[in-house]
Amino acid sequence: MKLQRKLQQLLKSLIQPLMAVLIGLLTGAVAISLVGASVLETYKVMWDGAFGNFYFVTATLARATPIILIGLGLAIAFRAGVFNMGAEGQMVLGAVSAALAALYVPGSGIIKILAALLAGFLAGGLWSLLAGWMETRFKVQLLISTLLLNYVAVLFAGYLVSRPFQDKSGSAALAQTHMIDQVAWLPKLFQGMSVHMGFVIAIVLAVTLYIILRFTSAGYEVRMLGYNPFFAEYGGINKIKVLLFSMFFSGGIAGLAGTVEVLGSQYRYVEGSLTVPGYAWTGLMAALLANSNPLGTAVAAILLAALQTGAMGMERNTEVPLEIASVIQGVLILFVTAKITMNWWKVKKKAGDIHGAA
Amino acid sequence: MTSMELLDLSFFTSAIRMISPILLAALGGALCTRVGIFNVGLEGLILAGAFSAIVGNYFSGSVLVAVLVGALGSVLASLLFGLAAIRFKANPIVAGIAINFLVLGLTTFGLRAIFNVKGAFYDKNMEGLPKLDIPVIEGIPVVGNLLSGHSPLVYIAFLAAIVLYIFFYRTVTGFRVLAVGKNEAAARSLGLKVTLLQYGAIVACGILCGLAGAQLSLGQVTMFTEGMTAGRGFIALVAMMLGQSHPIGIVGSSLLFGLMDALSIRLQGFSMPTQFTAMLPYIITIFAMFFLKDRGADSQLSGQQSSR
Amino acid sequence: MTYVLEMKDMSKKYGDFLANDRISIHLKKGEVLAIVGENGAGKTTLMRMLYGLEQPTSGEIVLNGKTVKFSGPLDAIESGIGMVHQHFMLFSDFSVTENIVIGHEPKRNGFFNRKAAAEKVKELSEHYKINVNPLKKAGDCSIGEQQRIEILKVLFQGADIIILDEPTAVLTPLEVEELLKTIQFLAEQGKSIILITHKLPEVMKVADQITVLRNGKVTGNVLKQQTDVEQLATMMVGRELQKLTDRIQLDGDPLLVVENLTIGGKDAKPILDQLSLTVHRGEIVGIAGVSGNGQSELIQAIAGLRKIDSGNVRLGDSSFSGKTVAYRRNAGLAHIPEDRYLWGAAKEASVEETGLMGYYRKRNFNQSSFIKLNAFRKLVRGWIDRFEIKTPSLDEKSGNLSGGNLQKLIVARELGFETDFLIAAEPTRGVDIGAMEYIHEAIIEKRNNGDGILLVSSELSEILTLSDRIAVMYEGKIVDILDRNEATEERLSVLMAGGNENEASTKTTTTA
Repeated sequence: MKLQRKLQQLLKSLIQPLMAVLIGLLTGAVAISLVGASVLETYKVMWDGAFGNFYFVTATLARATPIILIGLGLAIAFRAGVFNMGAEGQMVLGAVSAALAALYVPGSGIIKILAALLAGFLAGGLWSLLAGWMETRFKVQLLISTLLLNYVAVLFAGYLVSRPFQDKSGSAALAQTHMIDQVAWLPKLFQGMSVHMGFVIAIVLAVTLYIILRFTSAGYEVRMLGYNPFFAEYGGINKIKVLLFSMFFSGGIAGLAGTVEVLGSQYRYVEGSLTVPGYAWTGLMAALLANSNPLGTAVAAILLAALQTGAMGMERNTEVPLEIASVIQGVLILFVTAKITMNWWKVKKKAGDIHGAA
Repeated sequence: MTSMELLDLSFFTSAIRMISPILLAALGGALCTRVGIFNVGLEGLILAGAFSAIVGNYFSGSVLVAVLVGALGSVLASLLFGLAAIRFKANPIVAGIAINFLVLGLTTFGLRAIFNVKGAFYDKNMEGLPKLDIPVIEGIPVVGNLLSGHSPLVYIAFLAAIVLYIFFYRTVTGFRVLAVGKNEAAARSLGLKVTLLQYGAIVACGILCGLAGAQLSLGQVTMFTEGMTAGRGFIALVAMMLGQSHPIGIVGSSLLFGLMDALSIRLQGFSMPTQFTAMLPYIITIFAMFFLKDRGADSQLSGQQSSR
Repeated sequence: MTYVLEMKDMSKKYGDFLANDRISIHLKKGEVLAIVGENGAGKTTLMRMLYGLEQPTSGEIVLNGKTVKFSGPLDAIESGIGMVHQHFMLFSDFSVTENIVIGHEPKRNGFFNRKAAAEKVKELSEHYKINVNPLKKAGDCSIGEQQRIEILKVLFQGADIIILDEPTAVLTPLEVEELLKTIQFLAEQGKSIILITHKLPEVMKVADQITVLRNGKVTGNVLKQQTDVEQLATMMVGRELQKLTDRIQLDGDPLLVVENLTIGGKDAKPILDQLSLTVHRGEIVGIAGVSGNGQSELIQAIAGLRKIDSGNVRLGDSSFSGKTVAYRRNAGLAHIPEDRYLWGAAKEASVEETGLMGYYRKRNFNQSSFIKLNAFRKLVRGWIDRFEIKTPSLDEKSGNLSGGNLQKLIVARELGFETDFLIAAEPTRGVDIGAMEYIHEAIIEKRNNGDGILLVSSELSEILTLSDRIAVMYEGKIVDILDRNEATEERLSVLMAGGNENEASTKTTTTA
């Protein structure tokens, strides 16, 4: 009986995101037919591009890895009721810190990896905490400060790899660090495939976060703060402490996103490698799509990654450009966030009127 | 490596030219902020304008029509934003981000669908914006070359700032727009047409961003490149915040950013780290936020409000 | 008899709740009509309909003999009705002049003519003897000045009928005198005034006609000469007493000690004015008073949700000065909040999650940070049985519960802490009779166990049923404390409305 209820509730919460996905795909279909291609064939190619064979599946999962992590970081922030727009900067700082740690921390491979993970997490976390501190202490709005700090972070990382830590070994002057030693690489999960240990870390983190949010007192405090800060304060929750912790972990996980890309995929920090693919924006969408549920965010992230790899497949094999993914994503997110009014509106109105009288 | 070589006339001229799209978009953003809606979709709106302008130019052969089509394209995108944020009460931040994505995809798509090219579209037969030589001013030594010879949209940008100033502080409608942004509930209780004013501001923002986009794609080299806004929409947003959504303040902040931008490019030639000058506008804005009141975004949008 | 305004049989229903039940009022030109009643009596709803902010479920508004329908405030304004809201609708960054003329700005060549505006405001201000500084920013003005801006605003809009909603709630005594003089002057100038208030002494000073509302209905309509504060208070408050429950005589030690608590008062009227109060163990102290006289702030100050300017609060041996909410709750404080949706729950959280607040930290429900949900669910199910809380499941969103059921959940939760001290603010607001009696029983039981309870309620009958001692709050002060056997509704309602008990009867025997 209870299971049935739980299933019903789960389905209810999926209606709007599913509808949004449908409308997104429909819009994509319109765009495809405008270019003169066949909708069904094109979508089949898209599916193949994302999941067609084992190689593509792992490629999708590899792409999803940083997106999942960013999405998780943002999910924490959103759950606490804060709009952390600084995931990109936190990710980049995490990446460059991890690369430098892996390059210059002495010791065995394991030491280097652990140092890199720690450095990446701390870099992202502290950068995010900075914005949190400015908000609680000086009332500088987080939304704005995180947005601005993004630029500072990305530019600073760019500076680090074009001057002091640049890899000057090749003939071309590229803005990147040296390649990290092979002992410090995160192993690939399957031979010859691009998906690496970072994906496992991401999934483990997703499950861990889900458990923490749902079953621990810390998770309870974060969620209640997000639902109603007055209720949280009334019940004895220390709002400032919870907010700062949430910001720290949110940024730290975003930092991990950059870290695992460096350790498992690129093996160095390359300027632009994390910003150009738009991981941060996609991660944001994943969190929004899943309403900040950690498990849902991971699923949504994989779906969006599939959209993007599938679009790349489209680009290779059809006349349709890969930017169709952007179109679908844009429409999707628009419909997720719009409060489409249907029957639910009447119920809401009724509840609102009862205590809106006299 | 003297300062003369660094800051010669062409430096300032290019700075002014580069400022104009930022200035226009920032003014548009200010209109939205003043009416109570924080618009992060400026990037998408400018891009829509840039693309539409090229399309208009190609099919009509007239630069004037091109600019108008550019404005139209951006207005359509901004109406979509307005619909989502006002009618459907979507979170404006998320809606703005969605618009950015949507326009990026659609314009690249459009390149393929309409012109059958990838990456960029260039047609040597298309005419760009003319360079206006202003009769008396161009004769003035030194300053003359600085002030004269720009595309008409550059002059319109500065004119728009003045017009917006007069609009906000001298007209009745502008006064009411400010009122809506300051206290929407009070405005409604007075019977002011709040929704109309909000849509009006958004459409005006669309027009300004459309002009900004037209300047980008028609102002220097007549061509459209995928994603050619390259973050200018966000820089415009920051310029708006630093300028406190005040037209004259925005001229100041835009000039500052434009100068920093041009300086970075110059410094590249002297092999100095450009990233730090590029960072300055943002750091300055952050410091300004410590002292300024909530001009960047309404207090109801920030901090404790998530999109959930 | 031509009335300038008539509202005939006005009714307003919100879902199942009848806020206004066939209310009729009438107003002559140049007359001051006071509409009095407690919170929730229906005064504000009635005025919102008159001002076009709500649509009546049934009834008719007749203006100067013609029936009218208002689809929004603009219609009402254009028909000459102006409203000075209880919570000011001002733009703090704009000047006084701009605030007054907005919506009807004087123009010159299409531009806003601020100079002409300032002149007109000056004229208006001199004509009606309402003093303002036209150039000052509204945000820099005192509360009294801000109210004058609001009044000039409606006069500028051409109002002939002016509604004032609880205008003296935030004014100092001096400012109140000024306002009453202004009201009289406006009436002499031919304006018709509707004054919504619960402050009866002021009503007796300035009103010509008085209509009393209670529970959405008219309970009395009199002329000033025919009545007095006592009679009005009785009509406002009614007589519904619940049957008493047994209480044990306990002479407990002081438990909660509040000393000289003060909030505000530098430039504006103090919200709490050197308030002192003691609640003993085994005692229920009830605070009687109409909402808005400082009760909310007192509770928040004790609970740790609001900063105080001076004074201190002690619970047993623990001083609360500068201590957090968590500290106070640990020291033995539980709190049923007066606004269940704002403080007491989170609408999006499930019933279980709302109930969990405070328990999630406790040792018996928490093991190395993990919440023992199963154990807790047993507890919540117990509450649901005992209090008959209607909810489809524990996972139902709290916002979907009816107000009464959510209240029962919150009461169960706070009683469940079994603390020494409980703040119960409007504990049975919106709750059905059966549950109300159950909650009252539970509170008496807690008292009999030797715990101390501070009860705040705007329902006089509830105060009288439960309290051992009753303190009446008016304008941030405790004006008197009565023992339960000396308190009567009449005495209390007079004190609540700001009168003092020595007010002589002045009613005549002629009827309206």
